[in-house]
Amino acid sequence: MSEDVQNPAEDDDFLAVEYVLGLSDSEALEECIRRLRSDSAFAARVAGWQERCVAMTDDIAPVAPRKKVKQAILAELFPKKSVPLLDRLWVWKGFTIASLVLAGYVAFPTLRPSDPVLPDTVYATQLRGDSALEVLAVLDPAGGEIALRRLVGEAPDGRVLELWAILPDQAPISLGVIPQGEAVRVALPEALGAVATQITLAITDEPPGGAPNGAPTGSVMAAGAVSEL
Amino acid sequence: MDRTEIENLIARVALKDRAAFDLLYERVSAKLFGVCLRVLNKRAAAEDAVQDTFVKIWNNADRYRANGLSPMTWLITIARNTSIDRLRARRKGHMDLNTPGFELVAPDPSPEQYAVASSEAARLSGCLDTLEADRGSAIRGAYLDGQSYADLAAKFNVPLNTMRTWLRRGLIALRECMSQ
Repeated sequence: MSEDVQNPAEDDDFLAVEYVLGLSDSEALEECIRRLRSDSAFAARVAGWQERCVAMTDDIAPVAPRKKVKQAILAELFPKKSVPLLDRLWVWKGFTIASLVLAGYVAFPTLRPSDPVLPDTVYATQLRGDSALEVLAVLDPAGGEIALRRLVGEAPDGRVLELWAILPDQAPISLGVIPQGEAVRVALPEALGAVATQITLAITDEPPGGAPNGAPTGSVMAAGAVSEL
Repeated sequence: MDRTEIENLIARVALKDRAAFDLLYERVSAKLFGVCLRVLNKRAAAEDAVQDTFVKIWNNADRYRANGLSPMTWLITIARNTSIDRLRARRKGHMDLNTPGFELVAPDPSPEQYAVASSEAARLSGCLDTLEADRGSAIRGAYLDGQSYADLAAKFNVPLNTMRTWLRRGLIALRECMSQ
């Protein structure tokens, strides 16, 4: 059959479209996944067919989902405070309460050397993402500081880590380049301390000196929503 | 739907901005739910699928830029693939479809190629209709109903290999029509 004459470009195109339609057998699927990682021309073919095929949904009329759908999504993504915070923050990754005690120990004695009493209200989050970086942040609005403890990971070569506070409907606010070291502190502006539970902290990788125009330019390496402890 | 607006919302969701996520939900949930409903044809299953879809969007928004797709294509493809996976989940040996951007994609997608693809895409529906009716229906069946080669072969009463050759010819014709 003339269609089966070897034609690598056409074979690749068919491989791509079978993948997009969901028709690939397991061997072809593995090949596609492998080539998507390493072969940008193939990735472009796949993207091209995804763009073309999505036109088949043009005629599908929008249907508003019921309210409970959004509630279910929010409940899944942002569990309410009634879920024990310790479960949320640590148990996923097998952290024990010891990490917390350690974090508190590292953060606070040096923050407030003359006052051994812990602040009334402490906020914390664990920043995670697709990168290997994981950072624990403990916010102390009264002391105006954030204690950061890097659990794992580091800045890519030639880059620095910059910390951002994200509030609803606002551009990310830079909290500065994170100093080198496993346990460090950065200043927490008073205005942010007052709305601590609305903050999501995020860490991006930036050129040395930090993002040049006060807005993040690098990829988000880790992020976490702040909760009251 | 404004491409730039959706793109900005995805970028903010990548920074874990919940307000942006709310807004994105407001803008696209009806379209995505429509797609889930079209594939799954049952309200409860489609509700589960659209819920999964938005959880994936929240968790993977930072990977959106890597795949070079237009924002609505990315969102609809997640909804479509999630729905097809649910549809097929009961079948033995089913492997989940991959969602664009969830795999590491080779860098350096050329923007021109995508621009061509999206202008071509507008012609898809017209071109599907110019194909022999069965071939157009087979392509739609795979994309919107999650039909496998075996399903399609049974539907059109041809051997499986014939089905594959047939679809391949259809897709070559489709591509030619769309690039004209």
